[in-house]
Amino acid sequence: MFRRITAGMAVAIGLSAGTTAHAQELTLWSHWADQASKVEFVESAAKAFEEANPGVTIKINWYQKEPLYAALKTALTAGQGPDIFYAETSQTEYMENDLVMDLSDKLNWDNIEPWATDVWGYGDGVYGFPLEAWTVETYVNSALAKKAGVEIPVEGLEGAAFVDAVKKIAEAGITPMAQGVGDRPYPGAFLTHDILLKKLGADDYASLLKGKGVKWTDPRVREALEYAKEIIDAGAFPPSFSSIKLGEAHRYFHTSPGAVMLQMGSFYPSRAFASPDEGGQADGFELAISHGPIPEGAACAKCKTIAVGGSYVVNAASDHGDLAAAFLNSMATPEMGNKWLEANLVQTGIKADPSAIEGEHAAYFQKLAAANEGATYTYGIPVQQMQGAPRETFTQTVNQAFPAGLIGVDEVINLMNGAY
Amino acid sequence: MSKTAASALKERDHANPVGAITTFILPALLVYAAFTALPVLRTFYNSTHLIVPNKPSEWVGFTHYTALWSDQIFWKAVWNTLTWAAVAPVLEVVIATLLALCLYAKVPFSRVLRVAWFTPVLMSYVVVGILWMWIYNYEWGALNTMLRAIGLGALAQPWLGHPDTALASLIAVTTWMWTGFNMVVILAAMSSLPSEVLEAAELDNCGWFAKLWYVILPLIRPTLLNLVVLSFIGKMKVFDLVWVTTQGNPLWSTETVSTYVYKRAFQWSTFDLGYPSTIAVIWFVIVLAGVLGLTFLFRQKDRLEY
Amino acid sequence: MAAQTRTRFSPAGLRMAALMLFIALYTAYSAGPFVWVASMSLRTTSEIAANPYALPWPLHFDKFASAWLDSNYDTYFFNSVVIVLSAVALLTVIGGMAAHCFARYTFRFKGLLYFLIFSTIIFPPQVTVIGLFQIMVEYGLYNNRLGLVLVYVSIQLPVTIYILEAFFARIPKDLFEAARMDGYSEWAIFWKISLPVALPAISTTVILNTILLWNEFLYAVVLITEDDKRTLPLGVLRFLGDQLEDVGMIATGLMIAIVPVVLIYVFFSERLIQGMTAGAVK
Repeated sequence: MFRRITAGMAVAIGLSAGTTAHAQELTLWSHWADQASKVEFVESAAKAFEEANPGVTIKINWYQKEPLYAALKTALTAGQGPDIFYAETSQTEYMENDLVMDLSDKLNWDNIEPWATDVWGYGDGVYGFPLEAWTVETYVNSALAKKAGVEIPVEGLEGAAFVDAVKKIAEAGITPMAQGVGDRPYPGAFLTHDILLKKLGADDYASLLKGKGVKWTDPRVREALEYAKEIIDAGAFPPSFSSIKLGEAHRYFHTSPGAVMLQMGSFYPSRAFASPDEGGQADGFELAISHGPIPEGAACAKCKTIAVGGSYVVNAASDHGDLAAAFLNSMATPEMGNKWLEANLVQTGIKADPSAIEGEHAAYFQKLAAANEGATYTYGIPVQQMQGAPRETFTQTVNQAFPAGLIGVDEVINLMNGAY
Repeated sequence: MSKTAASALKERDHANPVGAITTFILPALLVYAAFTALPVLRTFYNSTHLIVPNKPSEWVGFTHYTALWSDQIFWKAVWNTLTWAAVAPVLEVVIATLLALCLYAKVPFSRVLRVAWFTPVLMSYVVVGILWMWIYNYEWGALNTMLRAIGLGALAQPWLGHPDTALASLIAVTTWMWTGFNMVVILAAMSSLPSEVLEAAELDNCGWFAKLWYVILPLIRPTLLNLVVLSFIGKMKVFDLVWVTTQGNPLWSTETVSTYVYKRAFQWSTFDLGYPSTIAVIWFVIVLAGVLGLTFLFRQKDRLEY
Repeated sequence: MAAQTRTRFSPAGLRMAALMLFIALYTAYSAGPFVWVASMSLRTTSEIAANPYALPWPLHFDKFASAWLDSNYDTYFFNSVVIVLSAVALLTVIGGMAAHCFARYTFRFKGLLYFLIFSTIIFPPQVTVIGLFQIMVEYGLYNNRLGLVLVYVSIQLPVTIYILEAFFARIPKDLFEAARMDGYSEWAIFWKISLPVALPAISTTVILNTILLWNEFLYAVVLITEDDKRTLPLGVLRFLGDQLEDVGMIATGLMIAIVPVVLIYVFFSERLIQGMTAGAVK
């Protein structure tokens, strides 16, 4: 009823929609506005594609993540989204509402990692092109660790050993773990997430997050939370934890004031390996990677998280769906995969060969490989596996209030249990 | 006063050509119908439907309303907003009255002071939000720096990061913004008081406090009450400031109804516009009740006293 | 009186000191943040990081140029100017016509119409914003500057009509009678008599609307997605990057957003205050 009235109204005012579609223009909205190497990667791919396909232009808008998501939510609801846009695997609502195109017979899947296609699978289709992938790592500032008189080995520290290390660092007047949740719904949860995952094992943990078999009242969950609480209460996080932003946490860790550890996605180098005056770590910074805290009685001490990060999806309402898919395919080659690795220092869903990387960052990839040796993976961090009220509650409690020391184990269990 | 003059004028005016009236009022009515009335009706319509992209809207009866009843985040947001709307007007009007008295008593530099006190209200909430985020910054923010400088470093806090202080910190920001505005209004009201009344009070040898309490305040009471209602309405709408600074964090301690509606409509991964519309409708009813209640309360009191 | 004051010098002096302290503290609270951001806007981020409270020396005025040129600020500024000025012009004409009509004529449903329009002042924006979003999409006015202009007209219309109606109602009726005798049409009466006479009230609404719309955020963030169509408040937010908070640059950006409003205030403070207080004093 309202549609008719309003449509009539529009005609009456004489302002009916006049969308003039450019014949061969692809629009692309992407996160990473301030990550120069990713911008350059995508823009050079776009340029190559334009050259290979005369008459086609690719118009790219770069955003920060939050504004991008806000713009996409309204634009897609309005049916005016771009042809290609940035998405993450957590955003199943795109698939649920038929907003993105099924790419299962459009992309060159031979060149893409099989786990990435699993993660982007939904119903009968596969919907995303996984450009970025990352693992959750515990980065160590070796120089500061030495100064605090602790050692954080690659294989991690089990049980009380980790708590003691945190205490010792805090007593030395150094922040044990940099972290902040000023602008993201997930980094504060890395610690608890990692512990829960190791304690429960990948399957039970997924079941817990999705509200299936395992409940938040499970005794193992309580033990894991209590262990995390011990670490938090030992003074693990900086007092300004709640307002520190993702980028600031990196800086806090490597430059000022410095922290011994930083649990972060392996996209860490994409910011930290910039030059120091652009917010990167200092030259000669001693970076190590560890397996982090391991709870006692862990079901899966070698469990780690791999997440498909920034991916591109094609708007289901696009007039140029095939062209858009062709552009994505132009990036899905082993050469481009290696180029991505070299430029961005973070894994990718495109099949690539890290060992082929030479030069100044080869050492970093060796460390990363060592930290991932023999690991069993769970796919996606919690906010990527949850939706609606549980996700919101998880963000507010496990990501924010719990690590900030504002609430205890009981409140987390009650709130999370009540959210499903 | 202008109202009565207007109606007197109109009663004597017999020439009311329909054509001219229609021409004059039609543009405003069209704008009103298209961009205010229809959206409001649309929101009411939404509130009983499930509205997701690519599907026709689906009638769900009052399920959104029942869901809202048990939505803890919503009630938390209502509580926060009402706290804000109850505390801020009182703070603003009381401090503004004190400031207005200072200027009324002709303290030195009153022109400069008026400018300094009024300016905050001119800035956009986005600017204000960013600025106060810096002031409240734990490491180098002005507030903590000052506390440390005077030896109260133990009180330094991540002001916007702790659920006990976040809402109060934001209320301090709106008070900062709006007190100067209230002061100017009150000063105008004081300046228009008939001087005979004040002189009579002087002759009675009243103390300054008695003069204030028994003469000035009762005379400017209508203005004060209007300001309270106005500020109340303003605080029931708060969105920008929260959105720029805390987005409702931590632990929903600064969640307002506006931010929650926005989150549910344009940020949560649900895409549904029906449920947030339901929140808006219920909130509309609460605001209406609040304004009517306040107006009624103030009228009652007036009647009792005169 | 004078003698009395002198005899009670000490308590009065104390009271005066307390009063001055209160005034000084409040002034610091009120003006301090502005002074701070103004000084940061002239310093580089590394200077600020070294000491957030030092005096701005040397003065980096060039930061204004680079904020303007490197961050798309010229576009945001231009959008804001165009959108706000168009909305204010439309508001003045449409609101003026309606106010003139309410003040001059008697007609059926006048009370009801006035109540309907005026009651929207208390509407929480939440109740319009979702419906408005959907309707703008259907009108084809979503992510469209013209659309934002029309929305701005609609949100400021009630208060504009309210202020102007009060003023028009005070114009002596004889003026209109005389004009009618001279053969003026109804339209000419509005255009040649009401508007010029009401110039003070009109300038009040113009200034008030300009400032309020210049600062508007909620509708802009919901209705505009494309970077090239953003207004200044949205543009300011864009400075808040993930990577490295460039405090100095953001401060410069904030100043660019503040300066026009402050200029308006400096030149038109009386009018502005009249406008802002019109709703508050009956």
